[in-house]
Amino acid sequence: MNVPHYWYNINVDLLKPLPPPIDPYETDSRIALLMRILPSELLDQEFTPLRYVPIPEEIRELYERMGRPTPFKRAHGLERALGNGIRIYYKFEGALPAGSHKLNTAIPQVHYAMRDGAKEVVTETGAGQWGLAVSLAAALMGVKATVFMTKNSYLNKTHRVLFMKTYGADVYPSPSELTRYGREAIKSRPDHPGSLGLAITEAIEFTLGGEGRKYIPGSVLGFVVLHQTVIGQEVLQQMPEEPDLVIGCVGGGSNFSGFSFPMIGARLRNEGFEKTRFLAVESMAAPKLTSGKYMYDFPDTGGLLPMIKMLTLGHDYVPPPTHAAGLRYHGAAPSLSMLVREGIVEARAYGQEEVMEAARLFARTEGIIPAPESAHAIKAAIDEARRMPRDSVIFFNLSGHGLLDVDAYSNTR
Amino acid sequence: MEIRRPGIGAYVTATYPSKNDFLNAVRCLSEVSDFLEVGIPTNNPKYDGPVIRKTHFASELKGLDAVNVTRYGKVPTILMGYVEDYVNNLELVIKTASEVGASSVLLPDLLFEHLDKLEEYVMAMRNHSLRPVFFISSNTPHRLVSVLVKYEPLFIYLGLYAATGIKLPLYIERNIKEVRKLVDNVTLIAGFAINTPEMVKLVIGAGADAVVVGTALVDKLTNQRACMEFMLSLRGGLP
Ligand SMILES: Cc1ncc(COP(=O)(O)O)c(C=O)c1O
Repeated sequence: MNVPHYWYNINVDLLKPLPPPIDPYETDSRIALLMRILPSELLDQEFTPLRYVPIPEEIRELYERMGRPTPFKRAHGLERALGNGIRIYYKFEGALPAGSHKLNTAIPQVHYAMRDGAKEVVTETGAGQWGLAVSLAAALMGVKATVFMTKNSYLNKTHRVLFMKTYGADVYPSPSELTRYGREAIKSRPDHPGSLGLAITEAIEFTLGGEGRKYIPGSVLGFVVLHQTVIGQEVLQQMPEEPDLVIGCVGGGSNFSGFSFPMIGARLRNEGFEKTRFLAVESMAAPKLTSGKYMYDFPDTGGLLPMIKMLTLGHDYVPPPTHAAGLRYHGAAPSLSMLVREGIVEARAYGQEEVMEAARLFARTEGIIPAPESAHAIKAAIDEARRMPRDSVIFFNLSGHGLLDVDAYSNTR
Repeated sequence: MEIRRPGIGAYVTATYPSKNDFLNAVRCLSEVSDFLEVGIPTNNPKYDGPVIRKTHFASELKGLDAVNVTRYGKVPTILMGYVEDYVNNLELVIKTASEVGASSVLLPDLLFEHLDKLEEYVMAMRNHSLRPVFFISSNTPHRLVSVLVKYEPLFIYLGLYAATGIKLPLYIERNIKEVRKLVDNVTLIAGFAINTPEMVKLVIGAGADAVVVGTALVDKLTNQRACMEFMLSLRGGLP
């Protein structure tokens, strides 16, 4: 089995230590609350001193059954279309059955929730990719999944709602009437499109409201990033040459980080990738990396989680609707935020029309219909390829396929 | 003054709940502790849990005035304060420490949020003939820890959890063992949420040289007997 044996923890290789999560002053301890909602092993992983965290065998087996290692492919068709002698490779996380990288952390999180005796896992989802991954992981391991999906996506991404239900999950549009925060949001704005931050708040409130429930988050937190490094750990084994440029899209930062951190870590330890640039691409709908502030903020709109120091647009920022619903999030993972601040990772924001145009070019040249989120990475790869010298090498992460993003493809030219 | 190994230290916030209670607590804790950690009261004790935060808000005096109410030194005494409150005035804190007889100044946010002040801190400490000390967490970058070791600190303090007084389901034994490997021979102190002799035993057994007790002491500070008995019971966990 070629599935990596270890996840990689970049925190211990950073140039500066990550500031700890802190409690707000106004309320009771949010750090203490984490113990009631999160599987305990995840809390340990959040603070682990280990550089390489062993992947339990049960999880490696599920990774393999679901199709890991995922393909690392040369984009011959796209290269030909660009015609300037750049070599482009991409990692295809859309090859996983739920369609995106999200399964990489859904599997361990559900596994650890069950080890704590959970009968039900609760979460939020934007585009529905995370909700779908959790629904699948829960089905594989035989527990119930309950998903709060941002309303705008719930209404537009009906196929993902359908398939979450096919896997056996309960799915609610957020804001919903099931929680106090949901009811308040609806009252203040009846046409509220929802936001990932708000959906997180609802999922946590719902978790606290019943027995045997654990909350499992889809991005931003350290252990999510840790699990996603299985992507980059595979790339280290699969790559035929070192890249000049590594690109990924950013919602909360998990696929970009999972893909790039094993390479960035090697660079920080002076073990290669000296000349490699790293580029994180976000949506203009939620441009925290390019326009956010580096400060302590809540990961969720309701402020139920502890504050973390990150690049953020503010936890009450409601991103405008965009086809890349998975990028509609106000903050970015603390480790990634720090790397952007330190200038090790570059950041750029794109608008949805230009991104969907890149998605179409990729579909025609490579055959894969990319997720609108992932298409942000494609757009950057194309733009960069056009100005890099011949024989340059680009890697990007194709975090998901877009076969269920019918709305995105039908509403743009 | 070196910290005795193995040892137990007591944390108190200066002039909480009142100047007199604090002075009594310092006197009595000096009898039963190997060292003291004295918090400089602040409006923004951000890395502290709810119990210690309250002591900051409820102290009789604030800032360095609160520390300046006595001379310390019966046992090694460490002042604890946030860089954030003294960004342009680290020198003043260190000078005060030296004047009141403290052995060092622990700045928990130095490495996490003011790493650019590291050299300045170490220099200022040396100018006052004090040895630096550093606060780290379990996932502090390994390379930074080796840099700290080169400064020959009086000790390195490992915060076992995210905030004082809040236990999380972490493998603290493993974390102490890993950090022990990184800090070499430097005295390693561990703290946050230590409240039983069993826990003292476990933490020392895992490789820490000393522990600090803070949150668990707060409700006993005004009762000298309870305070002493509690510290003595914790000492039962020492080898
Ligand atoms: C396909 C895809 N890519 C990227 C993202 C963005 O999330 P993250 O930045 O955590 O990878 C999402 C989120 O839903 C997604 O579905």
